[in-house]
Amino acid sequence: MDRWLPSTVAARTKLRVTEKNSLMFRKQYIQRISSILISLLAATSAIAQTPTIDFVHEVVPILKQHCSGCHVGQEIKGGFSLNSRSDVVESGMVDLEHVNESRLLELISSNRQDEQMPPSDRPRLSSAEVDVLRNWLAAELPWNADFSFGKEYYDPPLRPRRIALPPTHAGRNNPIDRILDKYLIDRQLEIPPKVDDQTFLRRATLDLIGLVPTFDEVKRFSQDGSPDKREKLIEQLLARKIDYADHWLTFFNDLLRNDYSGTGFITGGRRQISQWLYEALLTNKPFDQMTRELIAPPTDASRGFIDGIQWRGSTSAGQTLPIQFSQSISQSFLGINMKCASCHDSFIDRWTLKDAYGLGAVYADAPLQLHRCDKPTGQQQTAAWLFPELGQVDPASPRNVRLQQLSLLMTHPDNGRFARTIVNRLWYQLMGRGLVHPLDAMQTQPWNTDLLDYLACELVDKNYDLKAILQLIASSEAYQSASSREPPVKAAGEFVYCGPVARRMTAEQFMDAVWQLTDAAPNTIAAPIFRFDPSQVDVESIKLTGQWIWGTLTNNQSPADESLLIRKTINLQDAVISGGAIVTCDNAFTLYIGNREILSSSDWTQLQSLVLRDLLKVGDNTLVFRVSNGGTAGTLGPAGLYFEARLSLADGSSLAIRSDDSWEFNRDVPQAREGRLSAPNTGWERVSIAEPNVSWNQMLAREGRQKMAVAELQSDRVPAVRASLLKNTPLMQSLGRPIRDQIVSMRPTELTTLEAIDLANEPTLAAAFAQGGDRWSAQVWSSTAELVDSMFVSALSREPSESERKLFAEYLGSHPTPDSISDALWSLCMLPEFMFVR
Amino acid sequence: MNNTFNEDNPLTRRELIEQMSKVSLATLAMGAPRLLASSPALPVVQPPARADACILIWLAGGMAAPDTLDPKRYHPFAPGLKVANMLSTFPSIDTSVDDIKICAGLENIASVLDRGTLIRSHVQPDLGSILHSRHQYHWHTGYVPPTTVAAPHLGAWMAKVLGPRNTVMPAFVNIGQRLEGVGESEELKAFTTGGFFGSEFGPLNLPYPDQAAQSVRPPQGMDAQRFANRDRLFKQLVDASPNRDVMSDHHHESMVRSLDNAYRLLSSHHRDAFDISLEPKESFEKYNTGRFGQGCLLARRLVEAGSRFVEVTTEYVPFLHFDTHNDGHTTMARMHSEIDQPIAQLVLDLESRGLLERTLVVVASEFSRDALIEGVPGSSARDQARENVEAVSELKHYGLHRHFTGGSSVLLFGGGIKRGFLYGATAPERPLVAVSNPVSIADLHATILNAMGISPRTGYEIEGRPFYVTQDGQGQPVADLFA
Repeated sequence: MDRWLPSTVAARTKLRVTEKNSLMFRKQYIQRISSILISLLAATSAIAQTPTIDFVHEVVPILKQHCSGCHVGQEIKGGFSLNSRSDVVESGMVDLEHVNESRLLELISSNRQDEQMPPSDRPRLSSAEVDVLRNWLAAELPWNADFSFGKEYYDPPLRPRRIALPPTHAGRNNPIDRILDKYLIDRQLEIPPKVDDQTFLRRATLDLIGLVPTFDEVKRFSQDGSPDKREKLIEQLLARKIDYADHWLTFFNDLLRNDYSGTGFITGGRRQISQWLYEALLTNKPFDQMTRELIAPPTDASRGFIDGIQWRGSTSAGQTLPIQFSQSISQSFLGINMKCASCHDSFIDRWTLKDAYGLGAVYADAPLQLHRCDKPTGQQQTAAWLFPELGQVDPASPRNVRLQQLSLLMTHPDNGRFARTIVNRLWYQLMGRGLVHPLDAMQTQPWNTDLLDYLACELVDKNYDLKAILQLIASSEAYQSASSREPPVKAAGEFVYCGPVARRMTAEQFMDAVWQLTDAAPNTIAAPIFRFDPSQVDVESIKLTGQWIWGTLTNNQSPADESLLIRKTINLQDAVISGGAIVTCDNAFTLYIGNREILSSSDWTQLQSLVLRDLLKVGDNTLVFRVSNGGTAGTLGPAGLYFEARLSLADGSSLAIRSDDSWEFNRDVPQAREGRLSAPNTGWERVSIAEPNVSWNQMLAREGRQKMAVAELQSDRVPAVRASLLKNTPLMQSLGRPIRDQIVSMRPTELTTLEAIDLANEPTLAAAFAQGGDRWSAQVWSSTAELVDSMFVSALSREPSESERKLFAEYLGSHPTPDSISDALWSLCMLPEFMFVR
Repeated sequence: MNNTFNEDNPLTRRELIEQMSKVSLATLAMGAPRLLASSPALPVVQPPARADACILIWLAGGMAAPDTLDPKRYHPFAPGLKVANMLSTFPSIDTSVDDIKICAGLENIASVLDRGTLIRSHVQPDLGSILHSRHQYHWHTGYVPPTTVAAPHLGAWMAKVLGPRNTVMPAFVNIGQRLEGVGESEELKAFTTGGFFGSEFGPLNLPYPDQAAQSVRPPQGMDAQRFANRDRLFKQLVDASPNRDVMSDHHHESMVRSLDNAYRLLSSHHRDAFDISLEPKESFEKYNTGRFGQGCLLARRLVEAGSRFVEVTTEYVPFLHFDTHNDGHTTMARMHSEIDQPIAQLVLDLESRGLLERTLVVVASEFSRDALIEGVPGSSARDQARENVEAVSELKHYGLHRHFTGGSSVLLFGGGIKRGFLYGATAPERPLVAVSNPVSIADLHATILNAMGISPRTGYEIEGRPFYVTQDGQGQPVADLFA
């Protein structure tokens, strides 16, 4: 490869020469430049990659410094506007065919005072800067879709905007359709046709509860002649609380980077929010309330999100826990990428280093030292919220109050950004492409602002009921219309809506669908959650029998600053298959099992519940509670620990454990280190029983039985295990389930060769298909045709075509074997039609 | 294996740009990372590639340099041996290069040192707390965890930037490390990935070399005929599908193509590369010191068949292998015998096949060890030694047990690296820190990448931000190392 011209000086000199020379020479030169460009482009990448000019970091600063004074926004001197890419293309100032003949380059390189740009009284562009613009032209003006000089950056109005709905078209009355029909008609685009019942059933079932409709469900839906059957189906699906929670757990685990295994757990630097999250989904907790509980956790159960992931050792200034907090809150709830601004003022939106640190300081114990690119600036930043027009966090308040204030500001009804961000994510889940896209770049202009604002206002009006928004979208003709066959992005990054975009099943959906077909789901879940519908619990049958216990009591009281260890050893004859515990302590406790921190709370009015299944092993288990009293130093006050557990063991027996006078306490309280506590061997004494006071009794009466019932009763009636409840596996990771060390709101859409190898031979998957072969062959079929029809309906929610039926009938023969059925099932599951929600 | 275009390339510039903009629109749509273009102010010039493939031999757990490649004063064990005199626990031996001595037990490596370069001044930051998986994360990605985006493994960078050498062969293979059921496995998984590039660029993990063939075979219990029939059924089904037009052709085609690629690998002779049992017995035995030795053999076979980047490790398991927290001398003697023959044989085999010139072999570890000193002087790392011991009384205390980031050793062979060359040095007496030509992780990476034809400033835009193959694009190749 000829490498003589990467030198910019050479290129520039050559250009000046050619301008004085013949046309012939010029053409040769241009060819030369072109071939060099190709070489340069090629040298930086194989063909599969896309060399792009870094528009935002390289081009924008130059245009801003030299040109924006006269050629952006209202300023269009000489008729030349840089407001958008099309403005530039249409200006006549650039020639993308013959880049070096562009007037723009001529003017910025010119030495003639009467024509040069910028005007002669202003600084010239450096030669390097001219070259950046030349390369930018040569690459055909790459322009970030979300970028416009018109306004400095697209800055969506913060407050929710109420729109007037356009008139109804052709009786399509859903507000979404009124908006989208107008969009399509205005652009003279076709309104996409409605999908058939089977496609709708499959799409809605996968989207709303993550499962493939069963054979019976397909038949029932096909035979249902009622005109409102789609509406009813949507309601029924959303009412399947467990299925809904199982499915949307995946979405929220990604969004909140929650998982059951991962980095940080090893040193106690991370905790799960699984149980809290699952319960929130089961009960359809309003999203504003969920958010408040995540930002200002009322108990430890939802604390894991803001506490981030702490690795042992030192981290860069851009990854301390307060800065992680700033980044996570911004990304999850506001679609703001605060990662740029964590090191320096952002180049891509309006957020600054001070903004990032201000938000971090809400969480931090003290004002933060501002670091720019990991170097201290000497400035301090106190707590501040990003949109002061809604109010402000008081930096002088204590931390928990600041978090409360922040949670209220975030979920303020006037914070349209918050509502838009979540409805946009839901839209993406159901329609395959965000109204704003990518989802975490909410500073981007939506392709339909009215629709986004409409959905956001609906969410607020419906008290942040996520199911209501899902129902609204799924009920629309738009959702129920044929998938777009067009690539989702048109020229220059502009998106044109032509219907829903088919989207790949998540790893979890794929595994669940395979297990539905093959009956091969694993037996136990890893998520520490109570998995059943709480409304089904018979609370009345529960009797609480634990006692409040403490060390030595004086008149039923203990000193305010007293700390103790309290322990109980439980011997288990067999493995725990289900069961859990409730616990609280006046004033605070931390529970260690096997020396490892499990749970802590400093608010005794919040009764904690705990899944014990994976925490207890066969044999002896010692539960150690580090407990402390509170109150004014030097005084006495009530103190007590309450614990009660109900367990079902694999041998069929059940076991109750409760705090009573058989427990022991110790005054020697060692410091815990990295979430581990080594309890002393000696010095243990029997506990005393504390006489419960009115407040304690009221608290237990209020929620004790409910929570105990939840803990006890989750057992036999558990529905099939779903992939979202399992730890990540190499197979799921290969299929796109992220390692949730970072927030990942969008999964990969392409199937890769490495994944395909796993699909072809990964042992657990192969075993599932083998099991499927056994299962299907064990059933009695009147004919191979009946078997084939049943397989197609179960896998693809439709009957086979004639040619498909024939193909399968030939493959399976008149006496299908488990092996041939297994291979037929595999083939169905490998079809793009199967793997896409279409 | 030439990935660059020459001027005879029939593609016109317009065609090229059209092709690229199609790809870029597709990738834009998914928010996928985009290659950052060269900036004239600070051009990214991809250096000419000196190697087409890279084998990283990862001696996981913190290999003590003074007991392997950087011998110091030696005193044999005797009860009461002063720790001050416990610098190396092995005597030194001559090598095939004058003036270079390494530790006894590594005679085979000593005999091939004339084929490569020994760096004795590789240094790492202590990161406040020396945790193996954290330092391994740093070494493998160039970034200190936690990171704001999932950082790709060095092998993923090569897979992404250079692509596969042979389209059927996985570009990035990781041999010998179990990622399930071992301590710190979540932390190991965190860097053993394609990161934000996605799983296509991540590793094919082969924890057991002798079972590698199974990972590219039809599923257990399925013979070749049935496997072929199944594939044929699938392809006929694809053709018969009435619904093949409901998604974009792009998705449909790429999915079917990926499945076909997998079928081709699993049913073709290429998979034989994964089957070390096909190696002639005499040759097999030269490598067969255990899982690691077999891994070296597998690495050689995979590179011969066209893999781009292969890592093979002695495996990180807390307190095992090179993680010599106790009984260091005895453990190290075992590790010597495990690594010595296979590493040397790998170099010799590559050479005899004419592959060494175009294959870069890197032998490295996350840090070194010393008898007592934790980290570098002035370090903020907490001292893992709870008590100060002045003398050792038992053999199990004889050895190098404490993590040390002040100076470790790296071997480089092939890929245009100097032969018979020594670079950098550590002090002869404690602290055994690098005293000349320190080589940071970023600079070592830049050197490796330079040999592979990748500029250390190569970057991709992810989430609107640039992310470079060496941290902030700052790595500098060590020019002295190249012949």
